[in-house]
Amino acid sequence: MNVTSCMKRNVVSVHEKTTVQEAAVILVKKHIGLLPVVDKDDKPIGVIGMSDMLTLELPDFVTFVADVDFVHDFGAVEDIHPSARTLNKTVKTLMKPAITVDEDCGLLRAYALMLQHNLHDMPVVSKAEKLVGITSRVDIGVAILSTWPKADK
Amino acid sequence: MVVPAILSIAIFFGSLILIFSEKLNRSITAIAGAALMVGLGMIFGFYSEEAALKAIDFNTLGLLFGMMILVAMLEPTGFFQYLAVLAARSSKGKPMRLFILLGIITTVLSMFLDNVTTVVLIAPVTILICEIMGISALPFLVSEALLSNTGGVATLIGDPPNVLIGSAAGLSFNDFLIYSLPIVLFSWAGAFLLLRTLFKKELSKRPRSVKAIMRLNPSETLNEPLIARRILIVLGGAILFFFVHNTLHISPSLVALSAAAIALVWVRPDIQEVLKRIEWSVLIFFGALFVMVGGLEHAGVMEAIVGLLERVSNVPPILFGVGLIWIVAALSAVVDNVPITIAMIPVIKGLGEAGMDITPLWWALAFGAGFGGNGTIIGSTANIIVTTLSEKTRHPITSKIWNKRGLPVMLMTCAIASILYTIVYNWF
Repeated sequence: MNVTSCMKRNVVSVHEKTTVQEAAVILVKKHIGLLPVVDKDDKPIGVIGMSDMLTLELPDFVTFVADVDFVHDFGAVEDIHPSARTLNKTVKTLMKPAITVDEDCGLLRAYALMLQHNLHDMPVVSKAEKLVGITSRVDIGVAILSTWPKADK
Repeated sequence: MVVPAILSIAIFFGSLILIFSEKLNRSITAIAGAALMVGLGMIFGFYSEEAALKAIDFNTLGLLFGMMILVAMLEPTGFFQYLAVLAARSSKGKPMRLFILLGIITTVLSMFLDNVTTVVLIAPVTILICEIMGISALPFLVSEALLSNTGGVATLIGDPPNVLIGSAAGLSFNDFLIYSLPIVLFSWAGAFLLLRTLFKKELSKRPRSVKAIMRLNPSETLNEPLIARRILIVLGGAILFFFVHNTLHISPSLVALSAAAIALVWVRPDIQEVLKRIEWSVLIFFGALFVMVGGLEHAGVMEAIVGLLERVSNVPPILFGVGLIWIVAALSAVVDNVPITIAMIPVIKGLGEAGMDITPLWWALAFGAGFGGNGTIIGSTANIIVTTLSEKTRHPITSKIWNKRGLPVMLMTCAIASILYTIVYNWF
């Protein structure tokens, strides 16, 4: 089995000129966590994810401290909202490099790549490097588990 | 002796320029420079492998390594966060009070631990606390770097240049407490009051959220209270032994390494984790610099400098000392103070051999190297660390800000030290 058997073909993607605000609206409306950013030929040039958006709300100074257990109330940090200027930036300024797999990639290979790069969703591309689908850890996991032998009754 | 001198000077200054211009990492530069110095030294007959090994001051490396192990073990216990959160709670959300408390904590820590370590551990919690309060972390970060640089000058173990000077001049832990600490106290007080005035506007702003600060729970910051207690006991014991190391005829490095050994046996941590947190790059940098400066010495460069300085020996010794403070400070503001100190040591020793009273000069070197680092944004590693961290906040520290806040502190501390130096000169 390869990733095409479990990927979603109906991918929501954005263009590099899309603003951060527009991308956020799409994430909310579709209730998804990752948007591939594609060029005019539909080739992925990056991805913008929920965590990239949330660093605008909760900057990564939190991660400087080894352990935030002792913070019960984030106080003034709660009031941090991205400025209009930030929201009007294009997704290109915020996106991360896209890690993609070919459509003939096997399930275990795809899962191994996701583990290695700590990804939860991964765009799938055709031979011509065009975006054809997106797959997630759950999609791949379910596809693998469903091949397990069924218990005898 | 002209060719060896030119070669060794070229290697040493070439390395300094590479480090200063950030073209090449300082440890890589130092290793390459050391290898080149030994190689060319052997070809041109002015340096040898044996001489290079002898040039390494293992007392300095041992003291640094021992203290690094103790800190590497203390770091994951959450003790440093505990102190910062305690300060935040005690400040009751008043920025000025927080400023005073964090300033004092940073200073005291940096008197016994490396400045860089102190800042690396305190600055991230500071940012978090300030963000929770809704105030700019900038005044706190700048002051932490400046005050830790200043406080570190007070003790033998507070600052790497002091470790170097103590080892080279045979000055004990108590010598530093008697001769350096009082002068540093006055300079520190001057720096602190100046910072309070310079940041008055920022510090008088009302924080947006005080309630959240009072909900921080210090006890939850201590992940390993038992381990923290054990390491602090060992650290305390080590400090007691530092007081008497001279009377017992043991070197500070033996005290530090023994303390590290006792803590390791008592706590039995995952040694790989501890070793990962040791700043090997610092130890390598020091080792390689010793080899490089050893080359300069063997090529006769230091003798030539001493010869030049002797010509100006009709300058009154006090003026010579004060001049040294300012020259070393100016150099340390633009280049790392460690190579400056390592290079100055043989020069001062040479002056001693030429019959000059050099004890006061060691102190001048310590004050200049210690306070000079405050002058620019790249003057010390602590400055670079707070600057880098501040870039993640909404109030990044810039060179322009440093020139308005750090430079005055450097000038103030050097001025106070110079005045006191002149007054107590005869006691040195």
